[in-house]
Amino acid sequence: MTESITEAEFDKVFAEAEKLSEFFREIGPKYDTENTFAYPSIEAFKKSGLGALPVPKQYGGMGGDLLATSKVVSELSKGDSAITLAYNMHYIMVGITMGLMSETQNKYWLGRVADGDIMFGPFSEQRAGFSGLADMKAIPQEGGGWRLYGKKTWGTLCEAADIITTNATITDADGNLPENFEDRVNAESFFIGEFQVDENGQGDGISIVKTWDALGMHATGTQTIVFDGYYVPEDGFICEWRSGAFGVLEWASLMFASIYLGMQSRILEESRAVLSKKTLGAVFGATVAADVKVSNVGHIIDGVGDMASRYELSRRVLYRTCTEVTEGYDDNWPMELRFPYIGLAKTFIADNVMHMSRHAMSMVGGSSFKKGAIFERLYRDSAASMFQPLNADQSRTFIGEQLLAPEELED
Amino acid sequence: MSTFKDADEVYAYIGKAMEACVSDPKFVEATKDGTLVVLIKQTDPESYILVDFPGQKVLVGDAAAAASSTVQLRMSSDNANRFWQGKLNFTLAMAQRKVKLDGKRTTAMGLLPLTGPIFETYKAILTEAGREDLLVG
Repeated sequence: MTESITEAEFDKVFAEAEKLSEFFREIGPKYDTENTFAYPSIEAFKKSGLGALPVPKQYGGMGGDLLATSKVVSELSKGDSAITLAYNMHYIMVGITMGLMSETQNKYWLGRVADGDIMFGPFSEQRAGFSGLADMKAIPQEGGGWRLYGKKTWGTLCEAADIITTNATITDADGNLPENFEDRVNAESFFIGEFQVDENGQGDGISIVKTWDALGMHATGTQTIVFDGYYVPEDGFICEWRSGAFGVLEWASLMFASIYLGMQSRILEESRAVLSKKTLGAVFGATVAADVKVSNVGHIIDGVGDMASRYELSRRVLYRTCTEVTEGYDDNWPMELRFPYIGLAKTFIADNVMHMSRHAMSMVGGSSFKKGAIFERLYRDSAASMFQPLNADQSRTFIGEQLLAPEELED
Repeated sequence: MSTFKDADEVYAYIGKAMEACVSDPKFVEATKDGTLVVLIKQTDPESYILVDFPGQKVLVGDAAAAASSTVQLRMSSDNANRFWQGKLNFTLAMAQRKVKLDGKRTTAMGLLPLTGPIFETYKAILTEAGREDLLVG
């Protein structure tokens, strides 16, 4: 049995997260405006030691479980959502790899993470995102190992990373993908390797192409990663990708949920700060009065109460889901629904954070719409919650389809 | 047309492989303190195999169907034949509803990585019985 983080250890970790969150809060607006990765965050993140949180103690880490990691991610996100979404990639990939790697791989790679290295994992490709079977090829080499060829379009955190994980489909020696669907599923594989690029993003058979330009989450540095003969030795093979990922994707889903929970907390904090002090003076509109204090207006009172309720419900859903998965209660869910049921925490929180960011702007008024206002920033960033898989639409389809399917086997 | 002529063939080959499975030291170690009892319900031909890991015993037929289990695994006998030779991607088969797994299955899923040696055992059983026609290329 792996030794978990103690309460006293977690208190220290959380205090460190609060400090780092404060730093992210200070630098976040600059990098949102400049639309670039927040480079000073690299040293600060490494210095905090927080990257080692989910690494089991036997590999030199802190032994933080899903819930402990979730709390830290939310705290950081409260400081700055985009910068934290970048480092969230590290937590996701550490969580996923540690459940799939061999003992030897865990000792080596997680040992490096415990010593401060940062891990990322580009998987999505242009054709069909995360759900698409990898078009990226892993061509077997004489003498062992593979060379990877292809393009990954969602390389969050690449500008800070030391270790890369990715998926590619093992081909024949001539680079032909398997023709049969089942063979192709079986050949799609999960790899880990060194990520070394120079200041221009150029490495040996791998490079960063700066393509990130989106509505929100500017500072994530979600660039395109081009593989052009990147070599992975045999010991960089982790497992067949889809079967492996099936059992560990909670690290993705619940960490994304943690990002948006942190944002809910920030929206509530900022809304209270403005709405508790704001006065309108004499007004003749929806309210007619000689001197109006916003905090006395009915829909504002209700609105803030609604926000706090949504935050608290979301927190409980996320914490409980982390606990149920960690303690094995997910065994009680239908097998086929495990992944979308875990994902309900994220889809629930996504709906709530988007509602809250919009409602906050409505309550605060037109000043919140101006560039540089924290509310327009949170509004843009919260929209990213629609995308990480499974999103709400996909989840409902997945669940409904399973529940309506006939009992008979499909043969 | 099914791979197996009747349920007795299923028991003779897959049942026998399961007997090797429950006494395999890796499975014994992985399941000794647990409650993992898997009922394999196969269709075409209909057959039942109960694999009692902590008890290290295998029941077949009516006795298996009547016994209590903690995990129920359903698949066709053809897919079972492929699965026990390492030729069926379990996750894909679940997604395609070719396999159904019910009950407390965390331990069962944890055993999947240990199944490799069983594939060889099963293939050896088929070969020994002169049933190379059941080997999947």
